[in-house]
Amino acid sequence: MDLVRWNQRRDLNPLGEFERLQDEINKLFNFDYTGSSGLFDRTVSPAVDVIETADSVVVRCDMPGIRKDDLDLSLARNVLTIKGEKRPEEKKENAKSYRNETWSGTFQRTISLPDSVDPEKVDAALQDGVLEITIAKREEVRPRQIDVKVS
Amino acid sequence: MEQTKEARERRCVNPLSTIREEEGKVVLQLEVPGVKKEDINVSIEDDQLRIQAPRREERIENGTYILRERNCGDYEKLFTIDNSIDRDNIDAKMENGILTITLQFKEEVKPRKIKIKG
Repeated sequence: MDLVRWNQRRDLNPLGEFERLQDEINKLFNFDYTGSSGLFDRTVSPAVDVIETADSVVVRCDMPGIRKDDLDLSLARNVLTIKGEKRPEEKKENAKSYRNETWSGTFQRTISLPDSVDPEKVDAALQDGVLEITIAKREEVRPRQIDVKVS
Repeated sequence: MEQTKEARERRCVNPLSTIREEEGKVVLQLEVPGVKKEDINVSIEDDQLRIQAPRREERIENGTYILRERNCGDYEKLFTIDNSIDRDNIDAKMENGILTITLQFKEEVKPRKIKIKG
């Protein structure tokens, strides 16, 4: 039998165990979801953010490794469709693959935007692997500041 | 102490990666959309290759999210490399949100073809 030194300091802090438990639970919430990518996983279609401001709607989309020419955007009234193809990396002969978490292939995403968007005023840019589409809202639905003159 | 705790709890995203070996080199590819070339930090400490890529995306003022699927954390990935990698000959390239790091094997471990004189 081993003699283990009695650690008195733990006794002095009755909340120590609770703090440890709290740490463990916090760690649980910090785990990341991107590690997995199955066939029907959502990572197969690029992740999208849609942000609405007072005068426009901004769509941001992660597009790593997708070329501008392989993208096809269309906007019909307020329905935005992002179509594209992610081409597989060219493989050299006798290359050994150790890990491949990425995907390639075609994808399509259709998003309903708020009714107030103006399909005529669209602006799209692809930079650093992020596609940003800015769609202005129609003039008549924008909040307007009315100055009240007091005479 | 406070700082290390903060660093530990900062949200980091594990970028999707590809590792493959080509003639005499190992190619790592990481998907890091939204990261600018100048923000990427690749460092080697002992046997660890650390890749840090902070996201500095412009926040949209007074915007409300209708849909939010993208990760907003900084990317960080740690690889362990062994002694066959030439540490002085590492090349990194950024294109379209994909970071490509090429690690060369040391000359002495590269396979060599021996010709047979006949």
